Amino acid sequence: MDLHDYQLSMTRRQLFGRSALGLGTAAMAQMLPEELQGAQGKADLNGGIHHRATAKRVIYLFMSGGPSHIDTWDYKPKMREMFGQDLPEHIRDGQRVTGMTAGQKTHPVCPSKYEFTKHPNNEDGLWASELLAQTGKVAKELCVVNSTYTEAINHDPAITFIQTGSQVPGRPSLGAWLSYGLGTMNEDLPGYIVMHAKTSFPEQSLFNRLWGPGFLPAEHQGVLLRSEGDPVLYLSNPKGTSRSDRRAQLNTLAALNRSQHEQSLDPQTLARIKQHEMAFRMQTSVPELMDLTTESDKTFELYGEEARKAGTFAACCLNARRLAERGVRNIQIFHRGWDAHGGLPREHESQCRDIDQACYALITDLKQRGMLDETLVVWGGEFGRTSYCQGGLTKENYGRDHHPRCFTTWMAGGGIKPGITYGKSDDYGYNIAHPDGTPMRPKPTMEKWTPGTMHIHDRNATILHLLGIDHKRLTYRYQGRDFRLTDIDGHVLNDILA
Amino acid sequence: MRAQTLAAQRCLARGILVLLTLASGALQKSVAKEVDFAREVLPILSNKCFVCHGPDTKKEEDLRLDSYEGATEDRDGLRAIDPDSLEDSELILRIHDGDDPMPPKDAEKQLTSDEREILSRWVREGGNYAKHWSFVTPVRKDPPEDSKTAHPIDRFVKAKLVEKLGEKARLAETSDRATLARRAALTLTGLPPDPTVLASFIGDKTNTAYLRYLETLMESPRYGEHQARYWLDAVRYGDTHGLHLDNKRGIYPYRDWVVRAFNKNLPLDEFIIWQLAGDLLPEATLEQKVATGFVRMNPSTAEGGAIPAEFQCKNNFDRTETIGTVLLGMTMSCARCHTHKYDPITQTEYYQLLAFFNSTAESPMDGNKYEYGPVMKAPADQVAWNEWENLATRNKALLKELETLKAIPIADTDKIQWKALSRRDRLNRVADPKGPFKESSLHPRAAELKALFAESEKRFTSTLIAQELGKPRVTKVLVRGEYNQPTGEPVEPGIPSVMGSLPEGAPRNRLGLAQWLVSPENPLVARVLVNRIWQRVYGDALVRSPEDFGLQGKQPTHPGLLDWLAVELQDSGWDLRHILKLMLTSETFTQQSAHRADILEDPENLYYARGPSYRLDAEVIRDMALWSSGLLDGHMGGEGIKPYQPAGLWKALMHPASNTKNYVTDKGSKAYRRSLYVYWKRTSPHPMMTLFDAPDRESSCVRRSRTNTSLQSLGLLNETQRVEMARKLAERLMTEAGNDTSRMDLLFTLVASRPPRETERKACEQLLEQMRQRYEAAENDALALLSTGEIARNPDLKPAEVAAWTQVSITVLASDVALLLN
Repeated sequence: MDLHDYQLSMTRRQLFGRSALGLGTAAMAQMLPEELQGAQGKADLNGGIHHRATAKRVIYLFMSGGPSHIDTWDYKPKMREMFGQDLPEHIRDGQRVTGMTAGQKTHPVCPSKYEFTKHPNNEDGLWASELLAQTGKVAKELCVVNSTYTEAINHDPAITFIQTGSQVPGRPSLGAWLSYGLGTMNEDLPGYIVMHAKTSFPEQSLFNRLWGPGFLPAEHQGVLLRSEGDPVLYLSNPKGTSRSDRRAQLNTLAALNRSQHEQSLDPQTLARIKQHEMAFRMQTSVPELMDLTTESDKTFELYGEEARKAGTFAACCLNARRLAERGVRNIQIFHRGWDAHGGLPREHESQCRDIDQACYALITDLKQRGMLDETLVVWGGEFGRTSYCQGGLTKENYGRDHHPRCFTTWMAGGGIKPGITYGKSDDYGYNIAHPDGTPMRPKPTMEKWTPGTMHIHDRNATILHLLGIDHKRLTYRYQGRDFRLTDIDGHVLNDILA
Repeated sequence: MRAQTLAAQRCLARGILVLLTLASGALQKSVAKEVDFAREVLPILSNKCFVCHGPDTKKEEDLRLDSYEGATEDRDGLRAIDPDSLEDSELILRIHDGDDPMPPKDAEKQLTSDEREILSRWVREGGNYAKHWSFVTPVRKDPPEDSKTAHPIDRFVKAKLVEKLGEKARLAETSDRATLARRAALTLTGLPPDPTVLASFIGDKTNTAYLRYLETLMESPRYGEHQARYWLDAVRYGDTHGLHLDNKRGIYPYRDWVVRAFNKNLPLDEFIIWQLAGDLLPEATLEQKVATGFVRMNPSTAEGGAIPAEFQCKNNFDRTETIGTVLLGMTMSCARCHTHKYDPITQTEYYQLLAFFNSTAESPMDGNKYEYGPVMKAPADQVAWNEWENLATRNKALLKELETLKAIPIADTDKIQWKALSRRDRLNRVADPKGPFKESSLHPRAAELKALFAESEKRFTSTLIAQELGKPRVTKVLVRGEYNQPTGEPVEPGIPSVMGSLPEGAPRNRLGLAQWLVSPENPLVARVLVNRIWQRVYGDALVRSPEDFGLQGKQPTHPGLLDWLAVELQDSGWDLRHILKLMLTSETFTQQSAHRADILEDPENLYYARGPSYRLDAEVIRDMALWSSGLLDGHMGGEGIKPYQPAGLWKALMHPASNTKNYVTDKGSKAYRRSLYVYWKRTSPHPMMTLFDAPDRESSCVRRSRTNTSLQSLGLLNETQRVEMARKLAERLMTEAGNDTSRMDLLFTLVASRPPRETERKACEQLLEQMRQRYEAAENDALALLSTGEIARNPDLKPAEVAAWTQVSITVLASDVALLLN
């Protein structure tokens, strides 16, 4: 090894975080031959690291609080006949309920008050409620999964579970895993961007851990793109500091670091010069990104006038498309306010108004630009809502508690089979059901998975798969264990792959 | 029948194998040195074989490779290790078997050829087992002989250096005194040396100058603050509950106690006992109770609908696993659901350890309350702590005096009760104007002291503490760790047998656990602690997985040195300062830190052919700038501080009912205290901390990553407080030094403990000149820059000049001149 190789090896090591761990030993064994490509995605695998990726990037629309599948995607006409009657015991079947409805004397069946329409897709049609009529129009692109399930019944553990694969804080988020596995495709923007959309019901907390690095090196944490103040923290120069002032400072800074490096031979010092330069480029690339004046009126017709207001869900979706165009691999929008324990119609109507046209627009826009094929779009919350009412029930007003056992999410683009529905719930939308409609309880093992069901680990495994990652092989050794996003579970749902 | 056929086939395979082995010359190598089971073999078995053949093997009849008995068991005429005919051992055959290999072809982890070689040699040498190194109580062996080297650490390091990197490998030259002064000051106090202290150290040519310099640093109150920081990461200290609403939590007196403990050099064994079980000590003092905040440090929730029984379990999991990480260096979480796959810890043993924590008195849900009981009142900052301590000392003396009085006016029946009273309550009795002591000569003094206590307690605040329930909760093993699936008989609190057992007579409660942890027989705790002390002195640890000393962890690079230091720590009376002094006086520490063109084989510096060098932590980066600018407010302790933070950061995340949704920046000097005191909201810590790898403190962190990102650059150059610090530093340079040259000298002396090199000076002067011209031409820009932050500019100084120096200061503070310890 000569000095040059030595410096190069140090720089590579830095890619994985300089602390002694770097990649877990197992990941090392699998990835070392192509170490550099390993963290960048490989060109011949379309950006994947273990197999050919069908998606180059993911846009993840997270509905925090738990949207009611019964009022949006999972059409349950039979519930209307059962209005107000107690949910049959064989349907509840020992399901634990949260402390909020555990004390309720009855669990009256609560049908959706909304009209459902069948939208043509590539099968026999997709039922969508009037609340999401616009999104329904892109039914031919969506893969709607009515049999998503999780284990947690409260927000904090459930959202932590779906985002990190564990209910307890401390693990890396999905986005951090992707950043660790795939690296970035744009030198001038961070590889993992998170946005928080405005809502009329800012309920449920969000936590840094949801886009945090866990035990991965901190560079893999999601970067907030904010609608208030600097879009990226500390992006703007201080008052009285021009861009040419900053250029002069960076020249001096580089000279100082190079002088330091002459003494220390520490390649980290040179690496920091590069990071300062990237920051300098971000100071133009980010404002350029956020500047929507270059978008045509047609764009705003598509996304709606709301998209002109910074921080709306529609504006976030438009930003997501712009980020995708610029090579950002990993974009996540959090929209809060779906936790409708009472007064669900008022809250969900507002929530759906926030997102409906924007979801439609994002899919349509990506499609028009020829980007949908390589962009995976994911929609969903941390759980669904109960088919029985929480609190007082009338035909017009009701509430629903958290429901983990069966709920709806969708995916589109990026190698997902378009225009299908997958999985089925029983007549109450309470349990995942066999094709004949009888309730079932999926009990996956490491080897076997139950067809027609999608545990959140399955969902994460599938997302990784589409991006060219084997969820069992993207590991990081921490505390003596080779951790992965899907813990010890997870099955790729081949049934929904194009 | 099948077994015989297989055996016959493998005989053939063996023939080929022997040839191959001979051809590779590997046998000659094996003659040279015996395979070390614990260091070489066990990690392979653990990583590649134990998943199916380890402690968690599902069926009775399955082969187990985690003991000699298991490996030599006769299984239908075959033995994994056959002591009668080692060459015929199934293990050797199967790992080389192309048709029916072990691990199976589809196994996730395959053996490398080197690993096959090691396993084969080991079996041929007898296949003997030994305990994993970290479960064997450390024994101090003499450092390697070296007539030229006195320092024990250096004798270990030099011998290893030669062993690993060749006869000619030597430590680097000793660093110059300025570099050394800065390195030691940053290591011990987290701040660079003051220029006058620096100058006097450089000028002091006596032999003991360095030692005295170290001692002075350790006497500084800054020392305890800096050392505490690492411990607060490990115990996941935060100012909020962490889950759901993430409301405020009253616990900062614990943080202040930790700082005090380091500043008083409380022996580390007591440090641990107090934190785990201070409340259970006889005549527990205020400090000992406050220390039990450690037990209460787990994140908690009060989310509507959450099930208390579930969180009782989750809280206990968290505590059990944190003890594993922080003190045992052992990952416990696997054993929550099943017997550990790698380390010899059974599921039952996990729940025995958990049982120590299952009977604390707090509710499993925090009620979103600041005073999430049990709480007690404790001093609200170090001033109040000092005051309290002074009174407590006086009270102790007074009560002692009381006992020497011939006739204690309490009836015998009352004596027992008297003993049960706290010192503070006894004082109240003596001070009681109607009580039995009213005639005593001590009564007036007691009354006065009582009044002083009452006055001082006005400056007390609430802090979470541990208390034991009167009747312990029943602990049972939980199937797959599910809170609602207890199984079998109740388990008693106990220690995983591989780590030893409770000392004789130790109670089966947290106190007993603590006594075991610090007992001389404990194989892990001293090693784990000393390993982390090494990590913070040298930048990386001797066991580079400080969180895992188990079978899957890294092997120590210097096993003899680790054990020597562990025993030294114990024998010194768990004296942290002694260990630090030992480390900082070693040549291993004092040598130059530059990467070496003559030694390229060790880029990770595993063998210390160069001194420590690393990017400083988030807190140090901020503190250094605060200190150099003269803005640092030295006030110690108290409620978490809130320096500038971009608006709306918390609000964008938080539930409307959360009491941490609004970030209100502190006014005045409070915002300029050390970073140790920055308010730690666990779901959203201060971005200038997390940008530079500070953990969120939701779970234990015993090693931070050190990343370089562009976002760090933005923070360094643009963040409000950094600009403010830079302009106050600029003013300082202008008022304390008379011309450009001496100002530049002072700037570098402050942050780098040395004057600038010529290239550096040139680069900075060029920038200075450019900025000077630019701001002279546009004074409004200068005034704008100087209005960043709350603190007014010095109106006596020329704005363009201050602005120019501000930009130079920002730049130097963001460069590796300032950011590195080297």
